[in-house]
Amino acid sequence: MIVPARWKAWLGRALWLALAVPPLQRALEATMTLQMLVQIPLLALAGWWMAASLAHRPATALAAWNRSGISGLLLASLAAMLWMLPRTLDAALEVPWVALAKFLGVPWLIGMPLALSWPRAGFVVRGVFLLEVVATAFRLGWLYTVSPVRLCSNYLLGDQQQLGKTMLALGVAICVLLAWRLMWGHVAIHGER
Amino acid sequence: MASLTLYPDDERLAGGERAAFNLYLISALALFVLMMLVGLTMRMAQAKWLSVPPNLFYELLSMHGAGMVGTMALATTAVMWFFLRKYVRLHLWAFVANYVLFMLGAVCIILSIFVGGYGALWTFLYPLPVRGMGLWTSDTAALFMLGYLLIGVGSLLFYLDGAAGIIKVHGNLGRALGLPWLFGGKIDPAHPKAVVAGTMVIIANSLGILAGAVVLVMSLINIFYPTVLLNALVAKNLIYWFGHMYINATIYMGVIAVYELLPRYSGKPYPVSRPFLWSWAVSTLFVIIVFPHHLLMDFAQPRWLAIIGQVVSWGAGFPVFVVTAYGALSNINRSGMRWTMPSRLMVLSVFGWAAGIVPAIMDGTIRINLVMHNTQWVPGHFHFYLLLGVLAMVLALMFHEIGSRAHAPPNSGADKLGFPIYLVGGLIFVFAFLDAGHLSVPRRMAEHLDAWTPTDRLGSIGAILVVLAMLYFAVRITVGLLRAPRLGASGVRAQDAAG
Repeated sequence: MIVPARWKAWLGRALWLALAVPPLQRALEATMTLQMLVQIPLLALAGWWMAASLAHRPATALAAWNRSGISGLLLASLAAMLWMLPRTLDAALEVPWVALAKFLGVPWLIGMPLALSWPRAGFVVRGVFLLEVVATAFRLGWLYTVSPVRLCSNYLLGDQQQLGKTMLALGVAICVLLAWRLMWGHVAIHGER
Repeated sequence: MASLTLYPDDERLAGGERAAFNLYLISALALFVLMMLVGLTMRMAQAKWLSVPPNLFYELLSMHGAGMVGTMALATTAVMWFFLRKYVRLHLWAFVANYVLFMLGAVCIILSIFVGGYGALWTFLYPLPVRGMGLWTSDTAALFMLGYLLIGVGSLLFYLDGAAGIIKVHGNLGRALGLPWLFGGKIDPAHPKAVVAGTMVIIANSLGILAGAVVLVMSLINIFYPTVLLNALVAKNLIYWFGHMYINATIYMGVIAVYELLPRYSGKPYPVSRPFLWSWAVSTLFVIIVFPHHLLMDFAQPRWLAIIGQVVSWGAGFPVFVVTAYGALSNINRSGMRWTMPSRLMVLSVFGWAAGIVPAIMDGTIRINLVMHNTQWVPGHFHFYLLLGVLAMVLALMFHEIGSRAHAPPNSGADKLGFPIYLVGGLIFVFAFLDAGHLSVPRRMAEHLDAWTPTDRLGSIGAILVVLAMLYFAVRITVGLLRAPRLGASGVRAQDAAG
């Protein structure tokens, strides 16, 4: 089903607001796993949907700086790196301006650039990006699993290790999905790669 | 199906493509000669004919290992690109990006070894690189690993571009491998073997590079944050997944030259068959999971992984090798093939591959591995299949290419002399290693006991012959590549052209 752009933008705004409602915010920040693997991706999804509301002119102006989607994907990757660090996850719970930065930064600096860049990216750029996503999931999963010390003051060591295991599982799942699609699925490759 | 025309028009190189291809081949030749000289120096040091301090020996060993693996990958990437581009669209930028990143990576590696004194070998086994014992710093080890990362990214760009081209033509990688024809259906005889082999390499080596990307970055994190300790066994598994896959992929890229060129020199078609597709399908899976055979001596390794290592070792390269060797011999049989440099080198390469995997399969057996793995048996195996197998495949394409520019397969008197010198030198060199392994001479040792030197000296003599032949090949091919192509008919047949 193709959702019209106007609806998508509204859905994005609604999701953004819903995630900021204190009970839901508290629930999604209750564990490190939920914050990193549910709340932050949902905020990025809200940004992705909100990109549909971007007027034609700014979108075209941005496209000139976003050849093959590389700049946008790079920006999203750098912004995402920040929200993988235990220190920022911790600070988002304790420091109001960091929490605000998360609620503004993740949709605008991760979700929106991804939405604007993904359709422009060819097979090679998408491939490099996805491979790095998988590699990052494995690396962080490994790090969070083996770290001998508790990295966040708000989350326990067990929670941190749980996040590590979930990230390792996520890496495997994405890998299997990609392999399945490339081996047996239909992958459309258009024009410039 | 591969063409029977010796120098088909769709293979002709022009402009940027020709420049890039020349750059690959000439760089590879120069690096092969340099790395062989490094290897010869080490062998002569073990033979006590040269005095090399132990720290320099391990620097040379690190350079030789990383350099040879990288150069094999560089040269066989050129082989894969040369043939695959006829069947799918490959972008020159990806081919050039791979070269540039390879060279940047090589500079990092060379600086880390010869300026920084890195000597923890090409396998960078954790935690050795961070324990330089005053010989090198952690920053030096980090530079070495950065070099690997750059080379890995270059390969990945090339493979992704190849995957995009293959998928655009064949729909998905499964169809490109010929999987729908495994159990029935009429096989398209025109389905290119280059696409089947290229697809296998893309699948298997991309996974290997992923493993490498994980373990290299984790090792870098450990260098800069030593409190983050890694599980040495997990790190070793990932390193060998990456390392084994990376060097193993070179033979599967190199063999494309045999599939494409052999029928042109024999004059007999060499179509794709169901056993061929089965063998590549099985090898695609097995090659990905064979790496535990490098850890059969690690007592902490889970038993099931060791068993996988053994069982899969017996089957990983075997199907493709059997089908290729049988196919090649059938193709040559009663073909009236005239022997020129490319055809000689192709037959040598199939022999080198076939004979080279025998000691590998033996070493992949747990009981034998426990006795042989730390001996020179192992360098005997991999020098056999790399020197007489993969390098011979690469040289076959190089000689073919200079032939295409002169419109006649190379077959001069000097070529006829160079080939046996290379063959005999190579055999002496590898059998000296294998015999040393049989005599329990340990590998990777800077200092050798007097009792070990007879095989070292024999090996050095073999290595000198190989270096002499390779020097001649390098000059001959470089001159041939730099010479402007002659204008004239391209549809020459090998039988007509050979003397």
